[in-house]
Amino acid sequence: MSDTLFIILSVLTVATALLVVLNKNAVNAAMFLLLSLVGLAGLFVLLDAPLLAFVLILVYAGAVVALFLFIIMLLDTTPGRFPAFKPMTIAASVLGAALLALGILSLSERAVLPLPPKAVAVPTMKNYAEQLFTTYLLPVQVVGFMLLIAMLGVIVLSKKYTPEETK
Amino acid sequence: MSTELLKAVAASNEWWALGPEIILACAALGLLVLELVTPKAQHRFIPHAAGMALAVVLAGVALNFGKIWDGEELFGGLIRLSMPGQVARVFFLLSSLLVCFLATVCLPRARVPRVEFYHLLLVVTAALMLLAQSNHFVMFFVALETVTIGFYILVSYYRERASSLEAGLKYLVLGALSSAILLFGIVLLYGAVGRVEAGGVVHTGFEFGTVLTFLRENPGNFLATAGALLVIGGVAFKIGAFPFQIWVPDVYQGAPTPVTAFLAVSSKAAGFAVLLLLVHGAFAPLAGVLVPVLSLLAAATIIFGNLSALTQRNTKRLMGLSGVAHAGYLLIGVVASFTVPWAAGAVWFYLFTYLLASMAVFGVMAYVAGPDDSGEELDHYARLARERPFLGAVLAVGVGSLAGIPPLAGFMGKLLLFVAAFHAQLYGLLAVAVVGVVISIFYYFGWIKAAWFEIWTPPAAGTDSPARPLPAGPKWVGVAALALLTFATVLLGFFQAPLSGWLLPR
Repeated sequence: MSDTLFIILSVLTVATALLVVLNKNAVNAAMFLLLSLVGLAGLFVLLDAPLLAFVLILVYAGAVVALFLFIIMLLDTTPGRFPAFKPMTIAASVLGAALLALGILSLSERAVLPLPPKAVAVPTMKNYAEQLFTTYLLPVQVVGFMLLIAMLGVIVLSKKYTPEETK
Repeated sequence: MSTELLKAVAASNEWWALGPEIILACAALGLLVLELVTPKAQHRFIPHAAGMALAVVLAGVALNFGKIWDGEELFGGLIRLSMPGQVARVFFLLSSLLVCFLATVCLPRARVPRVEFYHLLLVVTAALMLLAQSNHFVMFFVALETVTIGFYILVSYYRERASSLEAGLKYLVLGALSSAILLFGIVLLYGAVGRVEAGGVVHTGFEFGTVLTFLRENPGNFLATAGALLVIGGVAFKIGAFPFQIWVPDVYQGAPTPVTAFLAVSSKAAGFAVLLLLVHGAFAPLAGVLVPVLSLLAAATIIFGNLSALTQRNTKRLMGLSGVAHAGYLLIGVVASFTVPWAAGAVWFYLFTYLLASMAVFGVMAYVAGPDDSGEELDHYARLARERPFLGAVLAVGVGSLAGIPPLAGFMGKLLLFVAAFHAQLYGLLAVAVVGVVISIFYYFGWIKAAWFEIWTPPAAGTDSPARPLPAGPKWVGVAALALLTFATVLLGFFQAPLSGWLLPR
């Protein structure tokens, strides 16, 4: 059952990821990215990491892809041809692919993976919350201030300033 | 969640120990509330409120300074109170107070919102103070990111000017890159250390203490060494050390003058506070790797900073690139502190003299810039000494101290660093530093020459350029602040005891 699900989700993730790159229409590509992220989130669920899956959906699918769509709308990209690859691009891609292949090869041939521990508690929302509100309470507060100044900065930098009345 | 655990956590969360930071954060929120509830006509008092908050906290920290903090770990090991942490607190508060003063000079001339600037200033100051006392990579990164995000906004604060926005964008892109490098380093350390169980408590590679133990027990661990070097690289970006200095000139030039001062002094000092914290704390066993790396960085930074500052005509770029050279001298102090324990104190002494001199110079720059903030070329300083003798004198003392002319404070700072380097037998670095100082005298004196000695230029026929308006004379607060900075710079050149007795262990 788990294996079947894994295969289905992997195929979904990889196929849609390919479609993101190959699609000529930017909006469709963003939509396929969304599907790819959903597949990835499913894989995380299979790995007993439900929180990671939720965060992936919330942050990437919810916020980042929506941001992409906004930008696509703003820039009004008309679907066009793919420009030919530059030699530099080809060299970089070949190098990247070679490194990836080398990594996979060395992992499958030489890596000595430690045995998985017998029983690992599934990280639940409650575990994370406990950590956040006890051990990491201070960083959470600081992050609150960080978000506040980030929000403030967006307002300051984007709003048109009207000078205040003097006297 | 058991009540015992809650109690244990509550016991180590000693919020009162972070009083200064909490007061600053509350004051920052208070400023925003004040803007909402007070009528618009009274908004010009808000900057003074921010200054008051900083001054009160500074006084509070100074009064409680005698309490000996000796490595007490709070918040379950997130924060470690220590003597250098206290020194850093005083430094950042003093620096922010002076930035506050510069902002009251500069901001009214630009069409920008005011209150938000002081809010950001207070939040960034609190984060800087937390950063210097962090003992855990999560705390460290969160505080550093808060500082960096605050600076992204502050650098691009003059949003109607293309140069300010450009500087903000450049800082954003390169800052994000450096954050990525830093995070990658932290992750490598975390992965290399793994989980360590001691006495039923799980420690991870996020804690400085655990990293220290791991590095001591596993010398030559490749992953951990690579991680430590990447973390140092991320910190070197803040300092503006050689391969990571690329952002300095453009960002310094584009940023508003108070922000440039804040970047030059506080951001650099934060980098050094963190660097000292790391190389004497978590990364101490890696001295064999770090000493050559930091020595190389120091030499390259000094040479690059001084040579690139030689040809600058823009004062902000000059301050930025010469600041790179100062970072190089300070790095020598960091290298020396591996063998000479008091060198860390010498680094702080140098940073304090740099604070006094830089703030004096930036103060003069704020007044000379003129009503539209455009006067930042060396040519704009012509006849400054005749028209505004006070500003000319402050400039001469500040720049002289930066150049390290005896009997000013900057000279004593350099002397202390060089003596430390001599004791540590860093003769090669010392030679590079001395050559660097000699080069720096050329461009610093070019600035003094521009202000004090008139160059007769033939009136060009036809191009009858209108004479620049006289730079506005400072009000009494400005006179007092600049006079105090100048006085302190001269005084520290003769009597170092007030500062050195406090920074250097006897």
